[in-house]
Amino acid sequence: MGGTARSPPTDSAEPSSAEAEANQTLELGRRAVRLARFYHGKMETVPTVPVRSLEDFSVWYTPGIASVSEEIRQEPDLAFELTGRANTIAIVTDGSRVLGLGDIGPEAALPVMEGKALLFKTLGGVDAVPIPIRVKSAEELVETVLRLSPAFGGINLEDIASPKCFYVLEELARRLPIPVWHDDQLGTAAATVAGLLNALTLTGRSLQEVRSVLLGAGAANVVTARLLVALGHDPHLLSVVDHKGILDAEREDLDELSVRNPWKYRLALQTRGGGRRGSLADALVDADVLIAASTPDPNTVRAEMVRSMHPGPVVFALANPVPEIWPATAREAGAAIVATGRGDFPNQVNNSLVFPAVFRGVLDARASRIPDEIVLAAAQELARHAADQGLTPEHLLPTMEEREVFPFVAAAVATEAVRLGIARRKLSHEEFLERARTRMARPAALAKALSDAGLIRSMPEEGNR
Amino acid sequence: MSEPHAGDHGGGDRIRLRPARREDLPHLVPLLLRLKRLNEEFDPLLKVRADAEEKAAAVLAADLENPQSVLLAAEGSGPDHGKLVGVVRATVRERPFYTPEKEGVILDIYLLPLYRRHGVGEYLLGETTRRLAELGAGIVTAEFPNQNEIAGKFYAKRGFRPITALHAKTL
Repeated sequence: MGGTARSPPTDSAEPSSAEAEANQTLELGRRAVRLARFYHGKMETVPTVPVRSLEDFSVWYTPGIASVSEEIRQEPDLAFELTGRANTIAIVTDGSRVLGLGDIGPEAALPVMEGKALLFKTLGGVDAVPIPIRVKSAEELVETVLRLSPAFGGINLEDIASPKCFYVLEELARRLPIPVWHDDQLGTAAATVAGLLNALTLTGRSLQEVRSVLLGAGAANVVTARLLVALGHDPHLLSVVDHKGILDAEREDLDELSVRNPWKYRLALQTRGGGRRGSLADALVDADVLIAASTPDPNTVRAEMVRSMHPGPVVFALANPVPEIWPATAREAGAAIVATGRGDFPNQVNNSLVFPAVFRGVLDARASRIPDEIVLAAAQELARHAADQGLTPEHLLPTMEEREVFPFVAAAVATEAVRLGIARRKLSHEEFLERARTRMARPAALAKALSDAGLIRSMPEEGNR
Repeated sequence: MSEPHAGDHGGGDRIRLRPARREDLPHLVPLLLRLKRLNEEFDPLLKVRADAEEKAAAVLAADLENPQSVLLAAEGSGPDHGKLVGVVRATVRERPFYTPEKEGVILDIYLLPLYRRHGVGEYLLGETTRRLAELGAGIVTAEFPNQNEIAGKFYAKRGFRPITALHAKTL
């Protein structure tokens, strides 16, 4: 999840092409390093105001600016009006779980955060500042972000290990008056739920009746489970499975979880293993849905397990870069619909469909937080948009080419914030839509102008381009 | 000894506490071990030893024989009727230097996670305290790992406060 690159969908990549896939990843890595040396970073700050002469600085800076400060001192929320705060977010990480690389530390996390900032700007028109932080504990991370927050209209948490990420998100959301988001939890879950809603429609199932298995109990699936139950999924028909098997309410490690991972513990009590005990294979018998967000290994879910599911099951194998089962294998075993986290297969469950638009929406509404209702509003809007374009087993979700969906998701999010009474700016859906379109169009216009002027340099010749 | 339900506590609707019987012991051993493993989570000085299972069986059997001990089994109710879902160990100790002279010590309270909350803890504590009082205890105390804040809050909310501290150092 999270990859935005997309080449034409194909079904042929599969075990035999694993080597080709690895080679391609290597080549992309080499290119990224070459280009990083050439460009020295992906973002720079650019003025939004004209500076005609040095005299203008007496307005943009001292002495004139003191009056702006004075106004904000009287009414701190005016910072959203009189500064760039309303459109600026921090991308915060402690570097504890970066991509598939693990705990690589804050310096090494910086290029990834820069890349995320580029996505935020390009897709959402959001100014995002990469801030990798050197901290030891979750508490330190929370305290640091609290202290940084006056400069920002929102906080995007990134690549923080589970279960620390649950605590950090909950604590910051509780203590900050601005939206806080953790993409690995909320973005992935929203994209997953959007795809699942359409998959259920396509296969004639109702969320209230399906039996589902969530494989992996990390950041994404813990939230996916919560969202599904909020939408009406019977928790007792939901089996969450981790590396120790089905997470049932009497598992030996449950007391340990109550101390170390209360989120997973609560999920165990809520779902009670979906009424089952045992392994993944035990969970899948007769299940309608599998959502795997676990280990990048194509043998994690085996064909016979899919065969044991209720006829025509929905299989989401979301691990990156390699899904838990190859799509062709899943389909041969009877899966009616297969989604993965990859752009080179149909149905990419991609959180890049979610986070730029969600932030566009909450920033435009100046929302104070991002409750699950907002996450669901984004998911439902994505699902609706894909349905409007025509649902097929190969088109469950909008693709990254269907960029027109972004302003609609942003407007749905902002409108939901108004409905929930957490918006500081209350506009109509139409107004939010217009604002989102304008804001989201700006980066492309900027990039074009800068490129035309030679200020963004062309890609250096690399032989293959 | 009577075998009461929770009355107005609410907890007894979900479970029923009764004196343990010999035939309960094989079911109580894993519950007691779960508690000890939970304690290990709080402090490495509470690391569970390899033969803890045998020891648990022996300790519980000795409790049954000891007239100063209270060993209670928590049974599920409704569809879980008859299933053992918790264990309580307590004992009455002499206080040679202080009054009240007899102290009822709650040593272990464990309930499977699914049966917690909903007033069940209140019910367990009430029942255990009552039985300790019947054995002559004039003061009730509870032992649990210092790092177990949930237990600390549970007892504090019910009028308990720390009176002695146990400090440890490995040799």
